[in-house]
Amino acid sequence: MKRSFNTLTLALIPVAIAINIAIGQIIVLLKIPIYLDSIGTVLVGMLAGPLAGLITGALTNLIWGLSGLNPTYTPFFYVAAVIGLLAGIFTRIGWARRIWMWALGGLITGVVAAILSAPTSAIVFGGVTGAGTDLIVAALRASGAGIMQATFGQGIVSDPLDKLATFLVVFLIVLALPLRLRVRFPNAEHLPK
Amino acid sequence: MIAVRGFTYTYPAATAPSLQDIDLDVPAGQFLAVIGANGAGKSTLCYSLSGFVPDFYKGTVVGTIHVGERNLVQTPLADLAGEIGLVFANPFNQITGARFTVREELAFGLENLGIPREEMLPRIEEVLRLTGLEELAERSPYALSGGQQQRLAIASVMVMQPKLLVLDEPTSQLDPVGTREVFETLDALTKTGTTVVLAEHKLEWIAVHADRIILLDGGRIVHDGHPHDVLADPSLPTYGLAPTRYTQAARLAVTQGCVPADRPLPVTLDEAVKFFSP
Amino acid sequence: MANAFSLYAPRPSSLHRLHPLTMLAVVGFCLVAGLALPGPWGPYLVFLFVILPLAAWGQVLPNLLSSALKIALPFAISVFLIQGLFWTGGTPIAHLGPLSLKSEGLLFAAQSTGRILAVIGAFLLLSLTVRPDTLMIALDQRGAPKALTYIVLATIQIAPRFQAKANTILDAQRARGLETEGGVGRRVRALLPLVVPLVLGSIIDIEERAMSLEARAFSREGKKTSLLVLPDSAAQKAARAALLIGMAAAVAAGIWLRRAS
Repeated sequence: MKRSFNTLTLALIPVAIAINIAIGQIIVLLKIPIYLDSIGTVLVGMLAGPLAGLITGALTNLIWGLSGLNPTYTPFFYVAAVIGLLAGIFTRIGWARRIWMWALGGLITGVVAAILSAPTSAIVFGGVTGAGTDLIVAALRASGAGIMQATFGQGIVSDPLDKLATFLVVFLIVLALPLRLRVRFPNAEHLPK
Repeated sequence: MIAVRGFTYTYPAATAPSLQDIDLDVPAGQFLAVIGANGAGKSTLCYSLSGFVPDFYKGTVVGTIHVGERNLVQTPLADLAGEIGLVFANPFNQITGARFTVREELAFGLENLGIPREEMLPRIEEVLRLTGLEELAERSPYALSGGQQQRLAIASVMVMQPKLLVLDEPTSQLDPVGTREVFETLDALTKTGTTVVLAEHKLEWIAVHADRIILLDGGRIVHDGHPHDVLADPSLPTYGLAPTRYTQAARLAVTQGCVPADRPLPVTLDEAVKFFSP
Repeated sequence: MANAFSLYAPRPSSLHRLHPLTMLAVVGFCLVAGLALPGPWGPYLVFLFVILPLAAWGQVLPNLLSSALKIALPFAISVFLIQGLFWTGGTPIAHLGPLSLKSEGLLFAAQSTGRILAVIGAFLLLSLTVRPDTLMIALDQRGAPKALTYIVLATIQIAPRFQAKANTILDAQRARGLETEGGVGRRVRALLPLVVPLVLGSIIDIEERAMSLEARAFSREGKKTSLLVLPDSAAQKAARAALLIGMAAAVAAGIWLRRAS
C-alpha cells in the first residue's frame, strides 16, 4: 500500500483528518446549520486520488467517534469514505479543471451521501438526527413518509448544499497552493490551473 | 566522505537554477557550516546532500554528488534508508506523531530499518545519553520544549547511525537556551566521528563550533575556508551577511586607532578578549 | 499521551491488559448482537448485561454510563417525539392535543434508543479500555499496512494541536473585528477567514512532515520490527474465536426470533 501512496500523500492524510475535525467542531461552536466536516477528505481526494480520499473519509469518522468527540459519527464512516472516493474520481476524469463541473460533482456527492446515510440513520438512530434538522423529519413523517424516506428527505435537503460548499472551498484552497507543491501530488495533471 | 562535482539543480517550475556548478569535498568527521543570505541556496544544498534533491523535489540535475560510495543523484530516497540524517528548522514537523513517548519515537526509524529489538534498546540508550534526553525518555514528544524537541529530532536520526548529518537552520525557531543545547549536541556528535553539515544564520555560534565555512551566493560557492578567514573577510556584507559583533567592534577599534591594525580580527568571544587585551 | 484525541482511561484492571484484538472482538460482538437481536428488549439486553458489566470490570463504568446517556438523550427525545407522534397508521394510546402517540411508534422509539445505547456503548467501551497505539500495533502485526498505523496515531496526536490552532486563528480574527455572532449569513462569512489560513498553513508543513518520514526510512521496502510487545494468550485466542461464533449465533438468533414472533 505504501508504494501506491507517496510519502507526501501519507503526510497529508493525518493533517486532512485533523482539518476535518477542527473545522467540523468550529461549525458546531458557531452553531451553523451545515456539516462542513469533509473539507480535508475532498482535498485529499482531489490531490491524491480516490483511494487516498476514501481512507481519509473512513478514518475521519472512525477517529472522530472513537476519540469520544462525537461517537455518533462512527457508524457513518462508509459515507465519508465514498465522499473522498468521489472527489478523487471526479478529479481523475477531469471535472476539477472547470469550476462548474466541479460544483456539479459536489452536488452529486451530496445526493449520494444522503442516499448512503439513510439506512444507518434509520436502523441505528431511529431515523432522527437529534438536532434542528429533525423538524424536516417530523414534517415528512407527519405527511405519511416512511422512516427511511423521511430520513432520506432530511438528508437530501442538507447534504447536497453542504457538499457543494465543501467542494467549492477545496477548489479555492487548491488554487491558492504554491505551484511547486501542487506538481508533486499524484493528481497534479488534473488540477485546476 | 562527500564529493560534489559540477552540481547544478533547478526546481520544477523555476526559471533559474538554485545551485550552480558546485564543487565540494568534505572529509569524514568535519563540521562544515554553510552560510549565505536567504535564497542563496543553503537549503537546496542541504536537500541535495541528503538525497532529497532530486528524488523528493523532482527538478533538473547536472553533475554528481557522492556521499561515501553512493551517488545521490541516482539513488532513490528509500534506498538511502537512514544513511544520511536530515534535520530542519521546525521541531514540530519532525515529530512523527505516531508514537507516544520519546523512547518509542526514537525507535521509529530503527523499526523501519528492521533492526531487531535487542539491538534497538542499547542504541536508544546511547543516543539519549548523547543528546542529554535520558530523563525525558518516557515523556510525550509533544510535552518538550523547542530545544528539547530539536534535540529529539537530532537523536531520532542519529539513532540510525548515519555517516553524515545535515541540518538546515535547526536553531532558527529556538530561543538562546535551545540554540545552546543544539550546538552542544552537535559538538558531542562530531566527537563520535560523524560528519556534520550545518546551514546557519547565527554566525557567532558557528564561529566557535565549525571547522570550516562555505559561503553561498546566488547558488555558487564564493568563499570556502576556516571560520576565521571567511567571517573576518571584509567582503562579507556584500553577500548580505553581517559580521559577528566581535568583528564589527574590532574593525571599529582599528579605525579609531585603539588597536594596532596588524592584529587578526576576532570572530569569537575568546578571540575578541585576546584582541582587545593590550 | 499528552493531549491526544483519545478517550483512553488507564486503569489497573485486567480488562485493560487484554490483547487489543480481544477487545475488538468483544466490541464487535456487542455491535452485532445489539443490532441483530429483536427489540425493543434485544439491544437493552446487550447494553445492560454485556456492556455495563464489562465497563465495571474495566473500572470505567461511570465514564461509560454518563457519556452514553448524554449522547443518547437528544436522539431519544427526538425519536420518541417524532416516531411516537407521526407513526403512519398506528394505534393511538394517548392524545396530546390534536396529535396522538402511537404504540408502534413508541415501541420503535424504545428499540431505537436501545440500539443507540448498545452501539455507542460498544464504541465507548473500546475507546475507554484500549490504548490506540496497542490497537494499531495489533492490527499491524496481523498484516495491516504500516501506513494505516502511522495515519491513525499521527492524527490523534496532531488533531488536538490543530483544534488549538483553529481556535487561535478564530480569536485573532475576532480581535480584528470578525463577526461571529448574529445571523447565519454573518456566521458563515466568518468561516472563510478561518478556514483558508488554517488549511494553507498546514499544507506547507506537510512537505516537511513527509521529509521527516523519509529521513526515518519510512518508505524503505523490507521487513520492519517493533519496539513494543503485546502480551497474548491461548485463552484470549480461544475467546476471540468464541466471540466470532457468538456474533454469527446472535445474527441467527435474531432472524429465528423475528420469524417466530
